[in-house]
Amino acid sequence: MNELAAIQQRFQRHLMSSADEVCDDIRGRMEIYVNAYWGRLREALADNYPVLCRALGDDAFRELAAAYLRAHPSNHRSIRWFGNNLVDFITRNPDVVPHPALLDLARMDWAMRGAFDAADAAPLRFGDLAAVAPEQWADLRFRPVPSFRLLQLDWGIEGLWHTLNENEDAQTDEPQTHAHTMIVWRYGLECRWRTVSDTEASALRTMVDGGCFADICAALLDAGDQDAATSAANLLRAWVDKGLLARE
Amino acid sequence: MSGMNGFPAPTRPENGTLAGFGLGLRTPHYQDFIKAPQRVDWLEIISENYLVDGGKPLYYLDRIRRDYPMVMHGVSLSIGCADPLDLAYLGQIRTLAERIEPAWISDHICWTGTASLNMHDLLPMPYTRQALDHMVARVGQVQDFLGRPLVLENASTYVTFRSDELTEWDFIGELVKRSGCELLLDVNNVYVSSVNHGFAPHAFIDAIPAATVRQIHLAGHEDNGDHIIDTHDHPIVDPVWDLYAYTLQRIGWVPTMIERDDHIPPLAELVAELDQARRIAAEVCTPAREVACA
Repeated sequence: MNELAAIQQRFQRHLMSSADEVCDDIRGRMEIYVNAYWGRLREALADNYPVLCRALGDDAFRELAAAYLRAHPSNHRSIRWFGNNLVDFITRNPDVVPHPALLDLARMDWAMRGAFDAADAAPLRFGDLAAVAPEQWADLRFRPVPSFRLLQLDWGIEGLWHTLNENEDAQTDEPQTHAHTMIVWRYGLECRWRTVSDTEASALRTMVDGGCFADICAALLDAGDQDAATSAANLLRAWVDKGLLARE
Repeated sequence: MSGMNGFPAPTRPENGTLAGFGLGLRTPHYQDFIKAPQRVDWLEIISENYLVDGGKPLYYLDRIRRDYPMVMHGVSLSIGCADPLDLAYLGQIRTLAERIEPAWISDHICWTGTASLNMHDLLPMPYTRQALDHMVARVGQVQDFLGRPLVLENASTYVTFRSDELTEWDFIGELVKRSGCELLLDVNNVYVSSVNHGFAPHAFIDAIPAATVRQIHLAGHEDNGDHIIDTHDHPIVDPVWDLYAYTLQRIGWVPTMIERDDHIPPLAELVAELDQARRIAAEVCTPAREVACA
């Protein structure tokens, strides 16, 4: 290995170990780089998980950020992606947060962050479906817009998320366990979210997995809906209305 | 001859395709730029902020680009790193350049992380012959890839290396001469490093190859008495304005802009600060001195 590579490795180890492994190649104020590293990445994580950060408070979030950074240093060119493993990190290390519902807050924050700058796509319009012949409907497939995310949550965190998103100092109640599905997507430039019923979640999963309209009807029937075709048509209308589907 | 706003038009039209005085484009100012013409001639974007697939960042970038020339300024090229170049990243930079057609593309004389990691900081280079050789070769690769000269900025630094063989300005001078890259001279960074390492900032300005300076950065910093941190969160201080005037006397007028990355004030405050740069340039580069300044 050449000397430049060796110096850079020692320098980086110094930063990442918070000076436990001292780089003696340098003279000066190495602590400025160390502080900048931990501070900048913590700020980036807070930007990507704003509601989780508010729910935890500064001190607890600082601890979480440090633990995460030690486990998952950034390997992205853009700091925008820092935190892409946080949900997985909390799932595998539940003790890093003081309440299990915080995992769901992290899931929602990251989904909203992803929807924010996901690829643009022209939404499917009602008019696009007008030309579909009746006999073609059963085989018709749909594609969600690229910003669409489907989240399986264990806690009813929507109220908490909404309140803290609006006001970081708001008093909030402890969330209750509530296994359910949420969707996140972007309509135009605005990120949106919505809690969906188990029946609609089943239909959405079928659609996302590439199922055709007949498959969506079958999924609804399996979920106990006796008028599955009408329900599927109503859901499709709602999805188009809300801009969930992309024009092919 | 008068330019925008009654200030003398910049001389040296041969200096690329930009004219006048710019600002770093920051999110809080998007609406200001969209709603009304601003006394800002061009904008610099942080390239990485727009390496995304869609949504607001690219929407506003495209919208504002319609009205303002732009330059791209990156923070993750890691040109001085011993690891291989990240061609996927360079591909993204090239794609963004095709989208907004910047007057030029810049980054920093630094490295940002090794072993496939990114510290997201502008880390200092050891000023050694080996590092110089390495960087010259890398600049060549990047320029071939992008099909245009790379513009590189001197970074603020807080440490020096025991293995240093060259001064920063000699390192930069050699880099420019051998690689064909151009310079983004950050006058604030020269001042910050001069205080932190105890050298005369004028010596730095005197030594750099004047004809290769494409752009100038100005910014504020955090003064801690015996050292300075380059925070970009304060107005520009008088010693940096003085050094800017000295720089223009030495190298002539160069497109100049102000960077502000934290405690971002209303746009009008930055435009007013930019007026100070315009006044200094007008004083230093008066018509009588155009020859000296060109």
